Amino acid sequence: MAQVPAQARRIELILQQIESLPTLPGIAMRLLQLTTDDDSDTNQVVELIRSDQALSVKVLALCRAADFGVRGNEVDIDRAVVMLGFDAVRNAVLSIKVMESFAEAEVDAAPDDGAARFDRPAFWRHCLAVAIAAELIAARHSHLRDLKPADAFMCGLLHDLGKLALDYALPRSYLRVIELTEKTHGNIAEIERDVLDLDHHTAGKRLAERWQLPHVIQDAMWLHGVPFESLPDLPHRRLIGLIGLADLLVRRQHIGYSGNHDLDESLIERATALGLDADEVESVVAETHEELRRRSEAMGLSDQPTTRLMLESIMQANSVLGRLNQDLQHKRQLAGSQSQALDVIGRFHRRASEPGRSVQDVLAEAVRSAGEVFGPGFYAIIHQPTDDPNWVVSRYHHSGRLINSRMMEPPPHSPSLAQLIDADQLSVDTMGVLPWLHDVLADHNDIRRIRLLPITEAWGTASVMLHDRTALPKPRLLAALTRSWGAAIAAAAKHEGARRLGERLAETNRIVAQSQQTLTRSKSLARLGEMASGAAHEMNNPLAVISGRAQLLAATLEQGSKARESAELIFEQSQRLSDLISALRLFAEPPKPNIQDVNVTAVIERAVHFVQQRAPDAPAIRVSVSPAMPPLHADAEQLASALGEVVLNAVQSGGTSPVELSIHVDPLKGRWNFNVKDDGVGMDARTLEHAFDPFFSAQPAGRQPGLGLARARRLVECMGGDIELRSTQGQGSTAIVTMPFIGADTLGQGPIRIRSGSDQEEKGEERAARSQSIR
Amino acid sequence: MTEKTTDYRGKPVFTTGEAAEVCQVSQQTIIRCFDSGRLRGFRVPGSRFRRIPRDELLRFMRENDIPLTRLEGGKRRVLVVDDDQQIVELFVDVLEADGRFEIRTASTGYDAGVITEQFRPELMILDYMLPDVNGNVVCQTVRQNPDLNGTKIIIVSGVVNQDEIEDLLSAGADDFVKKPFNIEKLVDRIAELLEIA
Repeated sequence: MAQVPAQARRIELILQQIESLPTLPGIAMRLLQLTTDDDSDTNQVVELIRSDQALSVKVLALCRAADFGVRGNEVDIDRAVVMLGFDAVRNAVLSIKVMESFAEAEVDAAPDDGAARFDRPAFWRHCLAVAIAAELIAARHSHLRDLKPADAFMCGLLHDLGKLALDYALPRSYLRVIELTEKTHGNIAEIERDVLDLDHHTAGKRLAERWQLPHVIQDAMWLHGVPFESLPDLPHRRLIGLIGLADLLVRRQHIGYSGNHDLDESLIERATALGLDADEVESVVAETHEELRRRSEAMGLSDQPTTRLMLESIMQANSVLGRLNQDLQHKRQLAGSQSQALDVIGRFHRRASEPGRSVQDVLAEAVRSAGEVFGPGFYAIIHQPTDDPNWVVSRYHHSGRLINSRMMEPPPHSPSLAQLIDADQLSVDTMGVLPWLHDVLADHNDIRRIRLLPITEAWGTASVMLHDRTALPKPRLLAALTRSWGAAIAAAAKHEGARRLGERLAETNRIVAQSQQTLTRSKSLARLGEMASGAAHEMNNPLAVISGRAQLLAATLEQGSKARESAELIFEQSQRLSDLISALRLFAEPPKPNIQDVNVTAVIERAVHFVQQRAPDAPAIRVSVSPAMPPLHADAEQLASALGEVVLNAVQSGGTSPVELSIHVDPLKGRWNFNVKDDGVGMDARTLEHAFDPFFSAQPAGRQPGLGLARARRLVECMGGDIELRSTQGQGSTAIVTMPFIGADTLGQGPIRIRSGSDQEEKGEERAARSQSIR
Repeated sequence: MTEKTTDYRGKPVFTTGEAAEVCQVSQQTIIRCFDSGRLRGFRVPGSRFRRIPRDELLRFMRENDIPLTRLEGGKRRVLVVDDDQQIVELFVDVLEADGRFEIRTASTGYDAGVITEQFRPELMILDYMLPDVNGNVVCQTVRQNPDLNGTKIIIVSGVVNQDEIEDLLSAGADDFVKKPFNIEKLVDRIAELLEIA
């Protein structure tokens, strides 16, 4: 970056050199003045030309060459001026005078080493050819009022004057440019920028400005290399495009020397883009050659390097042109600031439209964007989301970094932010009455300097930017900025809403799927209940007969005999079958739990007792209870029974170490955890999946199938709890029984309450305070 | 047992002599109790003859721990109600094997009502699920009849639901037994309810 100042100085030096070119002779300037003034008298022009004998001869020669029905020497200047019109005469004079200017400067600049050099005749031939081609094309599109043949000729002739200026100012460097261009067959403008840091477009523009040439010529010199689509919206935009087109056409024909070997563009496409008839454009080619031959002869370009001919030419624009010039300057400035704003808006949109941007992100980007335009300072945004009475007030660094953000409740009865903006009553005064605004602005030294900038939004959202900047862009530009921000904020809000909706939908789907599962299960449980009820009635009668008859039979048989034992066995087994039917029915339709405050230790004792009864040979069970347990809210018998089934399952898992039963309270989730851990054979995926199914057993034969875990889960669920099984095959299993702090019967009926064991009676206030801290 | 020939079962009103025989005390004792009001009764209109209603005599005997054998006869009246013939036969076999019971059977609620009026069972073994009415309806009907004040009711069912059992007990049932049952325990419970254990 250190080279930038050096580079800038170098360019300035070159430009100074260019500007040191001689100005146009007085006669040319006077002529320009006259020909651009509609009120001027023909005689004045004629007099002026006549005053310069050499000029008169050349003008007449040009007129003859142009063949406007003027023949031989019999025609004099005043006739020519009348016949040709001011424009043509002016063009002729300009051409001549410009060429003369450079021809004079050439004298000591010409190298004599015979190496590559800037071929001026070829250069002029190129310029003349472009001028002729442009003039002819314009003439064939006479319906296009912005393409005047005379203007086209003049612009075409002078469009490449920058090259001449550069060659004049830096002859040796420019030779290098020529050499490189010939070697690489590239575009001369790029090589000029590489070697000189300055191309002929810019050089031409500066020269034109110095010579105060008409605007249209200035722009033709400056912008003819710019693609038509990218040209600024100027009145003579198409004319400049035409020069570019004529330039391309001439280069295609290899007429003269331009230094641009870039021929890839399509003539037809360019013509179409300009709104020209492509056939007409192409038909111009042959005529251009012919016309060029005639005019070259007239100007002496064909034989002798005619630079002499050009020596004293060039003129000056009149005061009207000067005003026009100023106008253009102004427009260019405007275009400049507009393009800056466009850049800012463009950058904003690029950043704000990145995927996943939230409303807050976009607000931050809006501040960053404001910071770029307004400059550093205080920035905050008040935003009211859709359908939300609260206002979000955020302070930002001018880079868009969030400093702090808070949700504010506006005072009662105050209108919504959107209404405030619509009503146009937004001011620091109205906002200042809101007490919280003082908090937000507390660290700003002067609240009176805060300004409010409403950000217009659609769809019900609203924002206001607070800032302390005084130099703001023009109203139209500002409106464009705020509208851009507003649209992006509204879009982000919509997007956020849609995303939230999507998330909610997904969650609802999940819940629906879950409840469907639960419903299916409870439906099948209900059917099982009906079946079990029927079965209990239908099966217990025959069982009662079998059992009763077996008992009667046993009583008649001899005590201790084989027959009596058999009879007793029949009785026992029928009893067992009956128990199973009862259990199945209890599983399907468990009795309503009798929820009470119960002591955990008592429940554990009952569960362990249950296990010892069912499996008297079971190894010891290791129980750990964390101290100071609050009372448990459950049906003591059912919970003990459920825990017993789970522990029994662990005891029968084939482990070697004692089964561990640990109990602790999870205050965050508001529940009890009973963990039952064994180091038995564990379960595979299939077993885990079906572990809670009634009558499921992992072993195909052997272990007694039953309702154990199924029943345990049923009981726990009826009390609002849950059982989860985790297992790795070969490494044992862990069953986690969770119970809520509140029983199923009081679910959703009030705040959760925990009481410590000793403090059974609480005062209302204390209870309220506690329940609040738990909620 | 041979000295006694008179069958007092179902006799509604007793003379003082009959009451003395039933209670195995002298007639004089009965008259004294009657006159002091400890044994309530009435005098035959237009005469001085004392008469004692059956229920009052029963109450008097219980109060003074006098065995009821002579009044009730040797066997206690039990009515078995079930629509499953096999079950009915099982109960009959069980109770007959015990020997202390006189047994009648019914297979519907309607039959049960008719038989109860004549037989005046001291205990009913009642299936909860009958073809016409449910056990609890039979229960209520029995309890509304003052003549059947002392009748005990045991409900038997293959379906056990704690809530239903509560309902049955409050409707007037004395006990509930689930099918299949342990014969020994059932008979013990019957004897207990009839105070013949």
